[in-house]
Amino acid sequence: MRTVFIFISILLFSATAFASGDVEQGKPVYEKYCRQCHGKDGAGDGPAAQYLNPPPRDFTLGIYKWKTTPFDELSPSDEDFIKMIKGWPAHNTVPGWDGLNGTSMPGWADVLGDNDTKDVIAYLKGLSGLEAPEKPPIDLKVKVAPSKESIARGKKIFGDVCSECHGDEGRGDGRKKLKDDLGARTWPRDLTKPWTFRAGSAPVDIYARLTVGIPGTQMPSFADPQSKKTLSDDERWDVANYVASLDAPYKKPGEGAVIKAVKVDGPLPDSPGAEWDKAAFESFYLVPQIIEGERLFTPTLASVSVKTLFNDDEIAFLIEWDDPTDSVPGDASAVDLSDGEVFKDGAAVEFPSSMGEKPYFGMGSASKPVDIWFWQNDGTVRAIKAKGASIVQDVSNGVSARGMYEKGTRQVVFKGPLKREWREEDAQRFVPVAFALWDGSNGEKGGRHTMTGWNSLVLGGGEGGSPYAWAAGAVVVVFILELLWLRGARRKDK
Amino acid sequence: MRLPKLAQFIIIVGVIYGLLKTPGIFLGKPIPESLIFMYMVLIVATVLLVMTSTDESTEELFRPIRALVEDPKKAFVRNIVFAVTPLIAGYIAYGLASRGGEPPAELRSIHPAPPSRMSAYGRPYDIATLENPLRRTEKEDAELFRSYVAEGAEIYFKNCFFCHGDKLDGRGHYAHGLSPRPLPFKGKDTIAQLSESYVFWRVVKGGPGLPAEGGPANSSMPAWEGKLTEEEVWKVILFLYDFTGNRPREWAREK
Repeated sequence: MRTVFIFISILLFSATAFASGDVEQGKPVYEKYCRQCHGKDGAGDGPAAQYLNPPPRDFTLGIYKWKTTPFDELSPSDEDFIKMIKGWPAHNTVPGWDGLNGTSMPGWADVLGDNDTKDVIAYLKGLSGLEAPEKPPIDLKVKVAPSKESIARGKKIFGDVCSECHGDEGRGDGRKKLKDDLGARTWPRDLTKPWTFRAGSAPVDIYARLTVGIPGTQMPSFADPQSKKTLSDDERWDVANYVASLDAPYKKPGEGAVIKAVKVDGPLPDSPGAEWDKAAFESFYLVPQIIEGERLFTPTLASVSVKTLFNDDEIAFLIEWDDPTDSVPGDASAVDLSDGEVFKDGAAVEFPSSMGEKPYFGMGSASKPVDIWFWQNDGTVRAIKAKGASIVQDVSNGVSARGMYEKGTRQVVFKGPLKREWREEDAQRFVPVAFALWDGSNGEKGGRHTMTGWNSLVLGGGEGGSPYAWAAGAVVVVFILELLWLRGARRKDK
Repeated sequence: MRLPKLAQFIIIVGVIYGLLKTPGIFLGKPIPESLIFMYMVLIVATVLLVMTSTDESTEELFRPIRALVEDPKKAFVRNIVFAVTPLIAGYIAYGLASRGGEPPAELRSIHPAPPSRMSAYGRPYDIATLENPLRRTEKEDAELFRSYVAEGAEIYFKNCFFCHGDKLDGRGHYAHGLSPRPLPFKGKDTIAQLSESYVFWRVVKGGPGLPAEGGPANSSMPAWEGKLTEEEVWKVILFLYDFTGNRPREWAREK
């Protein structure tokens, strides 16, 4: 009888241990996979932590950003934990990335099985003594469909309630300097780039953030009746629908994009405007310069979009990117928003000095130099020949540049001489071109900047005719061939 | 019963196209479109050659198509096909015209042959005979070995993981912005195929140290020679193999 009792007790015990995960078993999993960022004791202070933006979670606080339990419930649901660890369902994300977008937290689904995940969740909860949530997750059933009316209502509320931080057009260019509860600088999300949203960008994900808030940050819960900014459930759905509608798909870089320079007759434009409508934007991911010299680990700029026009003598680039601040050194409002000293915003375009074997994308080398066109927002324009990261020489070759900043978007037009070797008579020629950007309010100066690798620019288009004309032509030709075939068959019949 | 020739033709061509697409869809390692196009031209030509080798088989292959046009009973199907075909042609033409050329395919050797000798840290190395000086601790002093691996991990997470990833799978935070993508260390087809001396050369000399066939102009891999000490590099290498459960490739010992 006694053995049976013990046996049943063991069974029951292991059953509960299985259901909620085993702290002891979670420890080795944590030590192998989590501690390098989150730290030996879970305080978010692993060896990698100082280089990460956003910083890794401090588990001893028990504050989690991406949860669906109500704002007045500290504990995330187990489902929330699983998503944060295993990754978000693939939605509007960047290629190869399955974790929290725009962070260093990858999705662990391919490494951790269900039991490992449960065990590590139990271990994480133990680090802060977090209990199971008392309140169930919020209702995530879609209540207001993304109709035109809902989006219009959401836009109105957004202007009143959200734009202070996220900017009038939602580009993250707010008027308020933000930091998290631990004092680390945070930048409001650029809502036109849903692939940078940490935890999903569907209206339901945005609704969850509005309802729960992002704990530990200045993103509040708009369901909190104590708040001055409380919104009703329907209003939160309206805002979610509006925010989802801000998606600007052209800003999301495509795979293997080629910049198609469009030929124009006559002079090239000096500034942004309607002349640029002839060309289409191609966008590229920006990565911080973490290779040489002074490195940048906390970028604010995520992507850059480029259009190119050319005529027989010159080539012009329209470079557009979202920058949360217009960094004017000495300007009071820029100083208010800046993270440390305000440096100038800047942009650079790089080409090989001569075609043939490509130079190194990071400012070339002695044997294979690069040409760089450089602009800063105080009007500085330089043309440089570089033979390596610190080996530069100014050259004068008729490069001009002009920039403007409006509501979180910066546009710069570069204009300079067209190299004859970029255009061959008939063949398409791919010109390597790379870009670098500086956000001066983010401490970016000199080697601290964001950049792209080599991309391809092809000079052509314009004379090739519109794709619609080609499509219409193909339809007509195939149809005529069909009719001829049919007529031939009928004749044979007779 | 036998499948009609035309159906056979469509199935064969479809299956081969599917096979060529598989690496891209399931493994994330697509075969370049231009290469697939070349293969498909050859395959379609070959299958047509085989299927039209005799007059009967030619007749059999094209009979359904001809029937479509000539058989009045099939007028309804024909009208549909005749309406849809020009639209498909238009769609393809639109795609081709608006593409304006793909970037030139850069055939790049991921593991190009290393030089036999290199000079680093102020002294020459013979890559063919170079060994990881810390590797012997694995057998001789397990505790010391574990401490080297732990130090290697710390170095990796302070320097390498932004690109090569938390999981050593080549998918770090910034990997998507780099071309070529950072290399993974996970899996049996990565560092398990390489000797530690090869990995040492790739780390110490980085992208700029690659021979021309390795695409040095595009590689974002720094030369770590000036940033990490020789011992730190060897420790990171111990960590790479240890974390992924891979064994370095070793030279066959002469007996």
